[in-house]
Amino acid sequence: MAVLTRGAYALPGTSLDFKTGNWRSTEVPAHVHAKAPCHGACPAGEDQQAWFGLLQQNNLEGAWRELVSANPLPAITGRVCPHPCETACNRVTLDGALAIHNVERWLGDRAIEHGWAYPAAAPAADAPVVAIVGAGPAGLSAAWHCVRLGLRAEIFEALPEAGGLLRSGIPPTRLPRDVIDAEIERLLAVPGITLNLRARLGRDVTLDGLRRSHAAVLLGPGCQEGKDWSVQGAVPVDLHEGLALLREFMDVGAFPPGDRVIVHGGGNTAMDLCRMLKRAGAGHVTLVTASGLPGPETDPGDVINVVPRELEEALEEGVEIIAHATINRLIMKGSKVTGVEVVSLRKLKGADGRTKRVSFEGTERVLPVDLVVPCVGERVSPEGLEGLLRGGYLRSVDAWGRLAADGVIAMGDARGDRGTVAEAIGDGRRAALAAAALVAGAPEPQEDAREVLQANALNTRYYPPRARSAAPKLPVEARTFEAEIEGCIGSDAALAEAARCLSCGNCLACDNCWTFCPDNAVIKTVELARDGSHYVFDLDYCKGCGLCAAECPTGYIQMVAEA
Amino acid sequence: MTDETRLSELRAKFGRVPPAPDEPSPKPLTLREKQPRFEGLVSGHRACQGCGEALAARLVMESAGPDVMVANATGCLEVFTTPWPQSAWHVPWIHSLFENAPAVASGMEAAMKAQGKKTKVLAFGGDGGTYDIGFQALSGMLERYHNILYVCYDNEAYMNTGIQRSSSTPHAASTTTSPAGKDRMGKRHLKKDLLSIIAAHHVPYAASASVAFPADLQRKVRYAMGIEGPTFIVVHSPCPLGWKHASALTIEVARRAVECGLFPLVELERGSLSNVMPIRSPRPVRDYLEVQGRFAHLMKDKDPRAEKERDHLQALADYNIATFGLAGAAQDANDTGGAAAVGRGGPLVGGM
Amino acid sequence: MREALEGSLAIARAVALCKPDVVAAYPITPQTHIVENLSRLVAEGEMHTEFVSVESEFSAASVVLGAAAAGARAYTATASQGVLLMAEVLFNIAGLRIPLVMTVANRAVSAPLSIWNDHGDSMAVRDSGWIQLHCVDNQEAVDTTIQAFRIAQETELPVMVCMDGFVLTHTMEIIDMPSQEEVAGWLPPFDFARKLDPTDPKSFGMLVTPEYFAEIRHAHHAAMTRALPVIDQIDRDWAALTGRSSGGLLEVEGDPAAEVGILAMGSTVGTLRAGMAAHAEAAGPARIIKLRAFRPFPAEALREAVKGLKHLIVIDRAISPGLGGIVGTEVAAVLADMADRPRIHNHAIGLGGRDIPETIYADLMAAIRDPDAPAFSVFDVDLEKLAPEDR
Repeated sequence: MAVLTRGAYALPGTSLDFKTGNWRSTEVPAHVHAKAPCHGACPAGEDQQAWFGLLQQNNLEGAWRELVSANPLPAITGRVCPHPCETACNRVTLDGALAIHNVERWLGDRAIEHGWAYPAAAPAADAPVVAIVGAGPAGLSAAWHCVRLGLRAEIFEALPEAGGLLRSGIPPTRLPRDVIDAEIERLLAVPGITLNLRARLGRDVTLDGLRRSHAAVLLGPGCQEGKDWSVQGAVPVDLHEGLALLREFMDVGAFPPGDRVIVHGGGNTAMDLCRMLKRAGAGHVTLVTASGLPGPETDPGDVINVVPRELEEALEEGVEIIAHATINRLIMKGSKVTGVEVVSLRKLKGADGRTKRVSFEGTERVLPVDLVVPCVGERVSPEGLEGLLRGGYLRSVDAWGRLAADGVIAMGDARGDRGTVAEAIGDGRRAALAAAALVAGAPEPQEDAREVLQANALNTRYYPPRARSAAPKLPVEARTFEAEIEGCIGSDAALAEAARCLSCGNCLACDNCWTFCPDNAVIKTVELARDGSHYVFDLDYCKGCGLCAAECPTGYIQMVAEA
Repeated sequence: MTDETRLSELRAKFGRVPPAPDEPSPKPLTLREKQPRFEGLVSGHRACQGCGEALAARLVMESAGPDVMVANATGCLEVFTTPWPQSAWHVPWIHSLFENAPAVASGMEAAMKAQGKKTKVLAFGGDGGTYDIGFQALSGMLERYHNILYVCYDNEAYMNTGIQRSSSTPHAASTTTSPAGKDRMGKRHLKKDLLSIIAAHHVPYAASASVAFPADLQRKVRYAMGIEGPTFIVVHSPCPLGWKHASALTIEVARRAVECGLFPLVELERGSLSNVMPIRSPRPVRDYLEVQGRFAHLMKDKDPRAEKERDHLQALADYNIATFGLAGAAQDANDTGGAAAVGRGGPLVGGM
Repeated sequence: MREALEGSLAIARAVALCKPDVVAAYPITPQTHIVENLSRLVAEGEMHTEFVSVESEFSAASVVLGAAAAGARAYTATASQGVLLMAEVLFNIAGLRIPLVMTVANRAVSAPLSIWNDHGDSMAVRDSGWIQLHCVDNQEAVDTTIQAFRIAQETELPVMVCMDGFVLTHTMEIIDMPSQEEVAGWLPPFDFARKLDPTDPKSFGMLVTPEYFAEIRHAHHAAMTRALPVIDQIDRDWAALTGRSSGGLLEVEGDPAAEVGILAMGSTVGTLRAGMAAHAEAAGPARIIKLRAFRPFPAEALREAVKGLKHLIVIDRAISPGLGGIVGTEVAAVLADMADRPRIHNHAIGLGGRDIPETIYADLMAAIRDPDAPAFSVFDVDLEKLAPEDR
C-alpha cells in the first residue's frame, strides 16, 4: 500500500510500474520479414530488396556479394533477363518500377571491373564432388552453389567453351561476348569448380559412369534440337529452324536469301531472329504469334513472352507483328514455299476450364513469302540420356528437378518448362541444394517459403516521388550486328534507383514506429535486434493500437494474433 | 547552491538517493533508459489505444525537454498521465484546474524570473481548456508577454467528460451534446479560428501542427523554445474514441485533415503569416470525413442535408486553401508529401 | 519607526518587507490601494518582485499558486467578488498544500451590489482549507501579514489575512513599522521542499481515487489542527522581537470577573473596546474575546476563555441565510459539551458596511436580559424598511 505524500505528489516516471500491455485484446505488432515481390518473382531467386538495401547504404561490394549469393552471373542476366522483378515491383503504381535490371548489370560490370572476389570459401579437398553436365547458365549456377554449399563441382561440357545458350542463342547486340567471357572466367576461377571441355555426354562420359564416380549428377544439357514443325503435314524443303538459323548466322555471318520473311513463334529467340533478319537486309520481316501484344485489352497471361524492351526495340526497327494469329496453310510452288495463309485466333476457356486456341473462319489471308522460319521451341538432344526423356525433355515432378533415377537432377531449358537464363540459374541453385541434401542424407531441401508482401501492406505515403532512371540506347540507325544496343545506366542513376527501393517487407530503420508509438512501447537499438531490425517492441506497454503497423512504410510491421 | 549541497538536501528530505551527476550508474542502463531521445512522457500512462494526444505530448516533450516545467490544464492528458501515485512525466509538472493552466504557468514563469533561472515553462491544455474555459487566462498570459510555450492538444471536443462539443469541434460533427438526429446535422457552428485570435495578440510565434507530421511539429516546438516570449502551438490530435475511427488510423486521419485543407498547418509571427505547409495534392474533404464515425451522418448519399453539409465543409477547406495559399506554386520539399518522407535510417529532411 | 499611514499603504509596506518573489493581483474595491501601493513600490524600485498584473482574480490566485509551486514566495490580495471568483483556486491551493499569503479586504458579496465591509466574502471560503486570521487594527494587520508568511512556510498551508475593508484599509493610523533588518532576521528564506524542480521532477495535482481521498482530507484537517500552536508561537516570537502581540489564536480583554462575554472578529473588537470604555458603568462590565484565528478554529482556547461566563454574545459580520450566524453557530458547537457553558446570544451586525456605533455595546448588553430573545438575530435590522411580507 502506497503511503500518501503531502499534497499527493508523485515521483517521476513511476507510471512505468503500470504495465499497459495487458490492454491488448487480440493483436500484437510483429516484425514480419516477408518476401519482397521482386524477390518472389525472381526466377533466379535473387533478393533484390536485400542488395538494394546495401546499395542504399552505399555498400556496393556488399550489394554484389548479396546478389551473387543467388545469381553468380549478374552482368549477364543484367542484360538478358526479362526481369519479372520489375513487373512485380510495388513501386510500379507510384512512379514506375525500379530499374532493377539496369542496376543489376551495372553492379555486375562493376564487380568485373574491380575484380571483386566471389564470396565462397574453398570446399574441403575431400568434399564430395558433384558432376554437372553442361556449362550453360544452369550448370554454371549449379557449380557455384555447390561450392557455396561446401561441395566440389566438376562440369562436363560438350563444346570447346563454356556458356551454352548464352553464346549460341543470344546475339551480341544483347549480350556482348566479352561480358560472357569475363563473367564466366571469373566464376570458373572459384576454387572447387573444375571444367572439362569437349566432354560430350554419351560420347566422352556416360550418365551411369558419372553416377558411379560422383556424389550426384546435375543435368543441364540445354535444348539442342529444333522441334518438328509442319503445317497440315507440309514441310518446305528448304526449312530453316529458328535456333539453328541463329547459330548458323553466328557462325557464318549470313542468312539464306529472302526479302519477305515470316517467323512463326513467340519467344525471345523468335524476336532476336526477326531483328537480325531485318538488320541483315530483309525488306519485310513479320512475326506471326498466337500471343497478344501488351496493352490494356490483353490478359497478362496472354502477352507475348519476350523481354518488353526487346519487343519495343523490334517495333522501332520495323519488325511487323501479327498477334493472335497462326499459320493455317503453306502455299507451295513445288516443295518451295511462296506464301502462307494466316488466320486469327484467340485463347479461349473451354467448357472444361482449359484454355484452347480457336481460329476464326473468315479471317484467313495470304501473305507472299520467300522464307518461313519456324521458331516454336527446341528439345533436348537424346544422346546419352536414353530412357530419361519424356516428350523430348527431362521432366521432373518436383521443383528441385529430381528425376526418377537416384541422384540425378535436371535443370534449365532441358526441363521443358523453362525459357530464360534466370530460370536456368534458379534451377542450378535448386539442383545444388537438392544435391547437398542428398549428400548430407537430409530428407528434403528447404526453399524459402515466406509470403510475398502484397502492395496493400505498404504505406507508400512516406516515399518521396522519384522518377525512374533510364539506360541509354543506340538509335535504330546506329544498330549493327555487334554493338550492344542498351548502354549502362551509370553510377549516379544506379544509386538513385537504389534510393527508390521501397524496401518491401523489410525494415528501413526509418524510425516511424519509434516516432509514432503513443505509448513509448517501441524501443530503438543501436545494435541490430535479433530479428534484424533496429527496434524492439516492449510488450509490457504496447496497447495494441496498430499505429506502428499502419505507419510502417514497408509492411515490415504487421499486426498478428496474440500468442 | 552547489550540486553537493543540493544533493545532500534532497537526500535528507526524501530519503532517496538521487545519483550525483558524475556518479557512475550502479547498474547498466536498460535499453529503455538508453533511448537516444528525451523521454519526458514515459510509458504506463492510461491513454486509450492510438491516442493522438498522448503521441503529440510525447513528441512535444522530446523536443522541448529536459529543462522545462509544465502546467497542465484538466483534461485527458492530465488524467491519463497522473493517477496517484504514478506519474508518466519526467519533468516537473503541475495540474491545478481546468481553466487556469496559462495563469499557473505565468506564476511559474514569474518565479523563474524572480529566481534568475532559465527553465522554460510550458503550458498544456486540450481544446476545451484552451478554446473555451481557459481562453481568458490564455489571453492574459499572451498579453503579459510571459516566456511560455503554450501547447493546445486539439482533439476537437471535451473527450475526458465523454465527447461533448467545444468551440473547436468542427462544423457538422456529431458529439454527445451536438448529436446528429432527425432535426440536426451535428454541430451547428463553426470551429473557432483560435490561431488568428492568438496571432492578434501580436505574439512572436503562433503555429498549427499535426501528429501526422512529427518532424514539422518538432521543428515548430524547437523554434518556439528558442523564442523569449509567449508562443503558441495548436496540435491536431485525433481521438479514436471521440472521432470514432480505428485506433490504427490516428495518423491517417490527421494526415487527411491536413491534406484536405480543413486543418491547415501554418505559422504566424507577430500576427503575420510567415510560413505554411503547402498541400501537394489536395484531397477531397470526403476522404477525411468518411473514415470517422462522427461524420457518418454526412455520408448518406441520398440525403440532401448531408450533401449540403459536405459541400459546406468542402467550402471551408477550399477557403483555407485559398486564404493561406496552401495550393503552393510548385512541388515543395516541405509540402505535405515531403514533410513526412522517410528513407533508410530515418526521416528525410526536406523530403529529399 | 512610528508613522501615520493609511492601512493599505501599511500593508503594502509590510508585504514589501517580506520580499515576495512574485505578487499577482487584480484591482477590486476596497483592496485597490494595497495593489496600487505595491505597484508604486515596484515602480520606484523600492521593492524587487515580479509583479504580475493579471486579467482577473481567478488568474491572480492561479499565478501565485504557480509561483509558490515553483519555489517563489508569493502574495496576492483581493476582496468580495474577487474572493468568490478565486474560490475554485483557493480550494486547489490548499489541497495542494501550497504556502502563500493573501490579504482579504473584507467586503460584502453581491447582490445587491455593495462595496462596503462585512465578512461575507471570507466566510464563503471558510472551508477552502486556508488559515484565516482576522485583524482588529492596522498595526495588527501589518504584524499579522509578516507573521503569515512564516506561518505559511512552517505549516505548508496558505494563509488569508482578513482586514475589514475601508474600516481598516482606508483609515490612517499610527503604525510602528518594523525595519527591514528586523524582518529579514526573523523571517527565514522561502525554501519550499516540494517545489517544481527539474533536478527532482515531481508531479503535482494528481488524480486521487476514493481509496485515498479521505486520507488526504484527514491529513489536511490534522495539519490545520497542528497549525494552532504554530500560529500562537509565531505571534509570541514576533512579540519577543517587537514587543507587539497580535493576540495569538484569541485574546481575552476587559473585566476577567464579568459574567458576560462578547466575542467578535476584526475591527468590531475596537468598537467594542471603545463602547465598553464609555458605557461599562451603565451597561455593566464584559469580557471581550477577540477571535483572531477563525481557521483553524481554536476550540480549546475558546473553552478556556469562556470559563465563568453566564452569557456569551457572539457577533457575526456575515450571515448564513436559513441558519443564522456562522461564528455563533461554530462557537455554540465548540462549547456544546461544556458543563457550565454560557448562554449564547448570536447577532449579525454591520452587514454591507452598516455603521457599528460605540453604543452597540450597551444595546448588546441590554439585549441579553430579554429572556425571549431569539438565539440569532440581525441585530441592527430596521424592519420598517421592509415590506410587511418580507420582514
